[in-house]
Amino acid sequence: MGLRKIRFVVERDLRMFVQYKFMLIMRGIWFVSQVSLFGLVVGKMVEAAARAAGINYFQYYVAGVTIITLYSTSMFIGYDIFEEAEHGVFEYLLTLPVSRRELVLGRSIGGGLRSFIYVGPLLIIVLTLLGVSNPLHLLIALAGLFLFAFGVSGMSITIAVAMKSGDKYDILIGVLDALIVRLSTTMYPTIYLQEAMPSYATISQFNPLTYASDLFRWGTGIEGTFQVSPLVGVLALFIFFFSFTFIGVVFYEKRLEGGSWQ
Amino acid sequence: MKAILHVIEYDFRNFFRYRWFIIALIAMNLADLFISAVVFTQMTRGIVDYFRFFAPGLAVLGLFASAFMIGREINMEVRREVHHYLLSLPMSRTELAIGRVLGGGFRGMLYMTPLLLTNFVLLGLPTLPQLLLILLALLLLAIGISGVSISIAVSTTSFEKFVTARGVVYYLFFFCSSVFYPMAIIQTLEARGLTPLVRFAQINPLTNGSDLIRSFLLGSPSFSPLMLLDVAVFSVVFAFCAAFAYTKILMRH
Repeated sequence: MGLRKIRFVVERDLRMFVQYKFMLIMRGIWFVSQVSLFGLVVGKMVEAAARAAGINYFQYYVAGVTIITLYSTSMFIGYDIFEEAEHGVFEYLLTLPVSRRELVLGRSIGGGLRSFIYVGPLLIIVLTLLGVSNPLHLLIALAGLFLFAFGVSGMSITIAVAMKSGDKYDILIGVLDALIVRLSTTMYPTIYLQEAMPSYATISQFNPLTYASDLFRWGTGIEGTFQVSPLVGVLALFIFFFSFTFIGVVFYEKRLEGGSWQ
Repeated sequence: MKAILHVIEYDFRNFFRYRWFIIALIAMNLADLFISAVVFTQMTRGIVDYFRFFAPGLAVLGLFASAFMIGREINMEVRREVHHYLLSLPMSRTELAIGRVLGGGFRGMLYMTPLLLTNFVLLGLPTLPQLLLILLALLLLAIGISGVSISIAVSTTSFEKFVTARGVVYYLFFFCSSVFYPMAIIQTLEARGLTPLVRFAQINPLTNGSDLIRSFLLGSPSFSPLMLLDVAVFSVVFAFCAAFAYTKILMRH
């Protein structure tokens, strides 16, 4: 497998990302309004509960919103795959002197990497707001977030290639987004999920967003957020990354054969 | 009147073409209510019963999102020049414009109905005059939102610019209103120097629409005719702006 060829595929996906400039601007506006309006006001509303749970809700929420942004931008790669199928770009890609596996692996890495590049400036703002108490913890957390971003890209590719219609993909992603974000600890601590409905807390334990957001908070030194060991968090994200990258690669590779995307 | 009804019917038929999109929207709204609101209820104990507080806000949220969808269609029509066909129809431009604004508003009402019924099931029934006032306020709100959406849609032929402008309007109207949190808590932002946002939240029609439902179903805040007046002014201003902008754009082409 040629690393150089994978690099070309990754580069292409990074360049394609720029075409979503308005979507990216909108995501940025969403991020700012979530932090500066929703985060501030809800922080006031839940002040007492947050104090009881030993957290500063505003900091907790800002970290969570960063992970939601990373998740949603990593999902964009699925839209690219549908666009390519609709506009006949698949055929062009197959003519390139790149093996199927290199192409698929490159796309998965490109999808994760470009979302990380997008979130980079937001991450700097967030880290300025939250501060960093232990640089080593932060580095471990960022490594975990890399795995998370690649895993989400793999998941997006898996869903995109499993569906025939772009509309259905869009809708499924919308529903999945609604559930996966809300049933995680991105917006609220596990203790309150448990109190609200034990089944919500159980589901959240299998949710990669829970591990990504808790790991990021641990990395920035936000107190009282991690319910399990950070090592378990990294391991969970690695399993998520490995499963979906592998499944995504296999699915995408199979779909490329025989023109089944048409 | 008959011509306007035909245009409304046309928009209604188009609305059902997006049935999967609507299903996804409903799923998101219900997830907001039955997951997020349930968890926040635990976190706001002693301050507000968040689940009951948020339910009316959710109906207004759904109304906003669905009434806004007309803008997406009109922007697409402007880009693809479908208006040539619309201009060939035996009706005046004013009738067409009024029909589009009302059509967008009625679609919002249709989508919001199950969410409002969920409110009645969860929070109790209003009296008949209260119900009529709620429906009137929501209809005015829906027409105003449809007007905002159309005004933005005809202002640009770029879908991306429309989507970006829609995002700004969405987030400003959503987060700077009492849909998600009580006005008393928003007012604490004044201490942080965010007075303009607090003022906007106070006159935001989404604030007044959701607080009007709350006043009848929860008893708090107390009903004020100013709530209805605020929504009515918003509706009249933006319905007029949209009809004017839509007619001008059609004439320009």
